[in-house]
Amino acid sequence: MPDPALSIRALKFRYASSDAAEAAPPWTIDIPTLDLAPGEHLLLTGSSGRGKSTLLYLIAGVLDLSPPSTGEVRVAGRNIHALRGAARDTFRGRSIGMIFQTFHLLPGFSAVENVMAALMFSDIPAREHRTRALSLLDRLGITTPDRDPDRLSVGQQQRVAVARALACRPALVLADEPTASLDPENSAAAVELIQSVCREQNAALLCVSHDPSLPSRFARRASLDELAAPAPAVASGGAA
Amino acid sequence: MAITDFTIIRRSMTARLFSTVTTIVTVAVSVALMLVLLSMRDAGKTAFERGSGNMHLLVSRDAAPMVAVLNGVFYANAPARSLTWDKYRQIADALPFEWAIPTLQGDSYRGFPVMATVPEFFRDFRVAADTPWTFAHGRAFQASFEVVVGSQAAAATGARVGDTLYLTHGVEPPRQLRAAGSDGAASPHIHTDFKFTVVGILAPTGSSHDRALFTDLTSSWILHAQDKREREHGHEDEADHDHDHDHDHDHDHDAEPLLTAADLTDDDKLLTGVYLRVLTRDGSDASAVLPSVFDTLRRDISITVASPNDQIRRLFGIIGNIDQLFVAMAAVVMISSSIAIMLALYNSMEQRRRQVAVLRVLGASRGRIFGLVVTESALLGLLGAAAGVIAAVLAARAAAWVLKRDLGLVVSPALTLEWVLVVCAATVALAALAGVLPAMIAYRTPVVRSLRPLG
Repeated sequence: MPDPALSIRALKFRYASSDAAEAAPPWTIDIPTLDLAPGEHLLLTGSSGRGKSTLLYLIAGVLDLSPPSTGEVRVAGRNIHALRGAARDTFRGRSIGMIFQTFHLLPGFSAVENVMAALMFSDIPAREHRTRALSLLDRLGITTPDRDPDRLSVGQQQRVAVARALACRPALVLADEPTASLDPENSAAAVELIQSVCREQNAALLCVSHDPSLPSRFARRASLDELAAPAPAVASGGAA
Repeated sequence: MAITDFTIIRRSMTARLFSTVTTIVTVAVSVALMLVLLSMRDAGKTAFERGSGNMHLLVSRDAAPMVAVLNGVFYANAPARSLTWDKYRQIADALPFEWAIPTLQGDSYRGFPVMATVPEFFRDFRVAADTPWTFAHGRAFQASFEVVVGSQAAAATGARVGDTLYLTHGVEPPRQLRAAGSDGAASPHIHTDFKFTVVGILAPTGSSHDRALFTDLTSSWILHAQDKREREHGHEDEADHDHDHDHDHDHDHDAEPLLTAADLTDDDKLLTGVYLRVLTRDGSDASAVLPSVFDTLRRDISITVASPNDQIRRLFGIIGNIDQLFVAMAAVVMISSSIAIMLALYNSMEQRRRQVAVLRVLGASRGRIFGLVVTESALLGLLGAAAGVIAAVLAARAAAWVLKRDLGLVVSPALTLEWVLVVCAATVALAALAGVLPAMIAYRTPVVRSLRPLG
């Protein structure tokens, strides 16, 4: 049986308080257990400021899990917080793809170069980078891969961001409010695209959003509050 | 082609093109300044050494060896005290010299010094071992009242072969003193009675001699003797006054018949210097007997003996501190340019915070981000250094051209590979060091905070 794409155990996280005398604030993230199988998609909902993005950054290992925060986050079987320094960064680059609300495409780099920028940190041979990036962009409907992202529509920019997130064939894709910059019509298309590409690559998808149109598109969905309960309540239903 | 670290650095630099270019120019200017100073320092010394050429020793009656060289080789002033012809013969005959060339200074032509000497001057003496005298036009003087004009003097005065010149007894004061009408500096006397004919124009030698005119000793002796006779005749009450080259001579030429060579007495045959070369082996400039000859001559307290090469080395030893000051200033400019690199990168860090955070998420380690910024800084230094080397070559050539045109100094500003490498390596190292602070900022970029949506 393959390792889960994501496995969280007893994860408790809160930001360090600036006032040592202050009483310990409640945990921002408190997830006793969460598993995501390879290729499985989960929508995580919650109000703004609840800690959804924080959870994604913890999973990606760009936010450290230092005391008093505790717990274990495994991605494709590896405890990411047990990895140190460059080893964690390399693992993240190869195993996790991230899609941001505002895309965060690299300025001065064309669409295809943005995708290739993700590949430079992978173990994929350099001679294959451009072909692979072009193929992925073509699959996502980008017909002008050498154009600067600034000259692409918002929808196209997001597709470039999706291509970048999936360029290294990650085990896990983390999408942070991926539809927040899009109109409802484009939102539906964007989520459909992300899900379909993840399915093609058998990548697990953890999408955090408070977009009310999204729950119907995810077979598995949960709120952070629900995950915090001792026995996580996971609702099922809707399209996968 | 794949995206590499160099691609990221290149894009970062082109994204801030104005800042990048101005930073590179700043570095280039400092590198060029440093290289030009270093190359000109060595080249300047070499240029000075050209004046004394293959001469081993200079004898005069100047107060000090340094003064003897400055006057006798670089025409700083006309030597004030004279040697007798007998003294010259005594020196030349007593020791093993390859040649001993007598010289007499004290006359001038339109501000350019005149050196009276013997025709062997052009045969035996060379301004540099590899530079024999070459005539652009005409020939060397062979008879009295013939004059050869140095290249720079000819260019400035417009003298041509066949022209007639009237030499000035003494050296004309600077133009501004004449304009001020200083009564203390009486105007020198122009000998209109004695016509000198230009028989040769020298090709440039890149030495101080390019500013001079050359005539034979007899002509100059006649000139001086005539002057002396007229002075004695017109001012008998002022007899026994010292021979003063800059003295005014208001006299009546018609009252005194013009002298000829036959009228000259031993007292008229005065010299101001002797160029000496001791015997050497063929093809060698060194001589085993030079130290002993030098010591022998020095025992004669009535003369001053100078080794031009030693005096030039001493001169550069004295001005060496100033030289080092200039190099130190150039080093400060180099450090300033490194600070400019640091500021340029530091200011760009705020704009690049998001880019750094994205690269971190994509898999770039903190160390790699640090390396990217330091490499970019070093690359700015390298590009600046490369531009600086090119600028230095052009600037040094321009400076050499100006020095040759205005001072007659042939300066060959050879940028030695050693210096170029040292300066470039130092520039790149300084630039890399300057990149450490911005790199630390990039290293510490908080990823989560930097990726928060704007607004």
